[in-house]
Amino acid sequence: MRLNKIILSFISALAILFSTSVVSFAKVVGDKIVLGAAISLTGKYSSNGVHTQNGYNMAVDRINSMGGVKVGGKTYKFDIIYYDDESNPKRAAQLAERLISQDGVEFMLGPYSSGLTKAIAPVTEKYGVPMVEANGASRSLFTKGYKYLFAVLAPANLYLDVAIDLAVEKNNGKGVTVAMAFEQDAFSQDVRLGVLDAIKRTGSKKVIDDKLPKELNDMAATLVKVKQMKPDVLVVSGHTKGALTAIRQISEMKVDVPMLAMTHCDAAKLSKQHGKNSQYALCASQWHKTLTYKDDFFKDGMTYDADFTKEFGYAPPYQAAESSAALLVFKDAFERANSFDQKKVRDALAATNMQTFYGNIKFAEGGQNVDKPMVLFQVMCDDAGKCENKVVAPTKWASAKLIHPIPSWSKR
Amino acid sequence: MSISKNNLILYIGILTFGIAAPFLFPAFKVQLSILCVLIVLATTWNIQGGEMGYNSFGNILFYGLGMYLCASVQVGMFFPLAEWTESGGEKTFVHTPTQFFQGMAFGLLVAAFVPAIVAGLIGYSILGLRGHYFAICTLGLGVAAGEISGGIEIIGAGQGFTTPPFPDVGSLDSRGEFFYFLSFFVLVLTFITVRGIYSTRFKLILNAIRDNEDKAEAMGIETMKYKIVGWMISAFFCGLAGGIMGGLVGYIDSTDVAFDGREMGVFMVLMAILGGKGTLWGPIIGATVFHIFKEGFWTFFLGWQYVALGVLIVVIVIYFPEGIMGWLREKYPERFGEVVDEKDRKAQVELK
Repeated sequence: MRLNKIILSFISALAILFSTSVVSFAKVVGDKIVLGAAISLTGKYSSNGVHTQNGYNMAVDRINSMGGVKVGGKTYKFDIIYYDDESNPKRAAQLAERLISQDGVEFMLGPYSSGLTKAIAPVTEKYGVPMVEANGASRSLFTKGYKYLFAVLAPANLYLDVAIDLAVEKNNGKGVTVAMAFEQDAFSQDVRLGVLDAIKRTGSKKVIDDKLPKELNDMAATLVKVKQMKPDVLVVSGHTKGALTAIRQISEMKVDVPMLAMTHCDAAKLSKQHGKNSQYALCASQWHKTLTYKDDFFKDGMTYDADFTKEFGYAPPYQAAESSAALLVFKDAFERANSFDQKKVRDALAATNMQTFYGNIKFAEGGQNVDKPMVLFQVMCDDAGKCENKVVAPTKWASAKLIHPIPSWSKR
Repeated sequence: MSISKNNLILYIGILTFGIAAPFLFPAFKVQLSILCVLIVLATTWNIQGGEMGYNSFGNILFYGLGMYLCASVQVGMFFPLAEWTESGGEKTFVHTPTQFFQGMAFGLLVAAFVPAIVAGLIGYSILGLRGHYFAICTLGLGVAAGEISGGIEIIGAGQGFTTPPFPDVGSLDSRGEFFYFLSFFVLVLTFITVRGIYSTRFKLILNAIRDNEDKAEAMGIETMKYKIVGWMISAFFCGLAGGIMGGLVGYIDSTDVAFDGREMGVFMVLMAILGGKGTLWGPIIGATVFHIFKEGFWTFFLGWQYVALGVLIVVIVIYFPEGIMGWLREKYPERFGEVVDEKDRKAQVELK
């Protein structure tokens, strides 16, 4: 049978292709420290993936132009190999494997979102590759005993429990009724657990607990329930799309609720896209430009905001800021370890104790950053319709007073 | 089934290549394992889509089911499953090597047999549908399964399910080698089975169903019985493939990894069509070419890979409507053992 010849030649062609495509980079090429990152450039997390990538690039350029990283008396520059994980955990795990075993990357930066970080962490852990991640906040990442995972951000359960505390405080210490709507993904579900803890702690009551589908484009059913149940607080979390959908439909359906707490408002550019409709929304944030943290590279939040806006044409959401901070952490650890040995760098990372423009960074045993509180900001608009995010809690950072309760739609 | 001398050489060659591959290309172990899984999916889809003429988008159901079942059994045999998947749980469970491999073995058994039984149960009602109705109905199966599993707390719901990490045995490469040989074994098993059934009357009956189901029935063939058995065979191997993939990825998400109809569910159809559906080798060649192109696009067209893939699909549909095998068959019919009568061919050309 001649068919066999075709198949055999096909297989040998395949073998040749495979053997020629083995290109290996070393971790440090010449004066370059090569970091690997799988980023969501397409798919449902693409907008936040780009924020993350911009944050990384901004910090790489800044550190390289300001003298680079000094290890063993030599100066090195950062370089990043990116791949697109398509917002898909399966793809992300494959890419991590590929970065490490094919591209020879020995240090990794995190992807965007908890789910993808969960998929990558087992791989980096297996190979003993230190990973500093800036966008995986799910608490379950930090209870798996990972030794090589470091997160510069506060865990997800801390995002919105402050909002419940605020509502209770406004209610004279009495419990409130809470309506919850969370996307079915690792991050949002963890935010939900944090809110549940806060509800229990404050003696509040949950009246709605809805799970929303991924790629959140419609939550009208939940909002109809909210209209009828009239809860004191409505909590929504579902990444960028969740924030946009919530504001769009709340304003369309004129849903009145005294407090609306969300995540990802700044990443969604809410105040720009929905203007006055987004007014009074309360948002959890890892970072805000008015916080007074400082470092040598970006100076402070305001300068970072200005530089970022100049470079990329939009104001940096916290996703970008924390991603930039991850590079600062790596630089600091390399210099303290004074070596490119993965174990030594890992130990140096574990001993990190520094301040960046983004906040203080100090890692707990599980790898989460314990030295940086979350902030809550509220979208506030002036009469001309220009909206701004202003920090309202915690009191230490507050630049404006919380407006509570939210005026009803008929009076706006 | 008889194997000719030439075929024997070919099979031994492929087998040797398969066993040597992870050592020849140590950096590509994961991609090679995924390739094996893709071939299994494409080959089993071909039983329905190619031989039987039933375009199933529902095979992803068995793949996802196998993935969740394998991981659940692997964890549940030794630890409380609910505590394992609970987010923020303070306890850390670690499988010993023996526990890991025992769990995996039992998990894979369950992952193979349960989907097959499920296929048998739902097959009776669903396989009664034909044409577009069957395709749409099976499309719904995968979507529904994804949404339902995303709400079941004990398997992690929206949080996802982290499968047991590979235990510390041997070197760093042992995980890759383990999963590669496991998937290669399943691939060989699938190939032997499929080749076996394609050389029996069973395949002819499937073809009869594809060509004219009513006529087949009128000839006294119990078509429903054969349709269900065919689907059960596919489900069996899809479940196995899913179980392996779950362990390989290390993290199961309801809609993005397990019931991934948008990617895996479509890819298995695409691969079979690319290679040439209704042939034994078509899905295998299709899956291999597809995988290589896909990995290549991901490296060289960052951010545009799906556009490039889209162009590839358009090119395939326009220039290779019968798939690679179909194209080869038309171009070199004598190599496929077909005798071409030159005079007759010329006469036909002139007629046109």
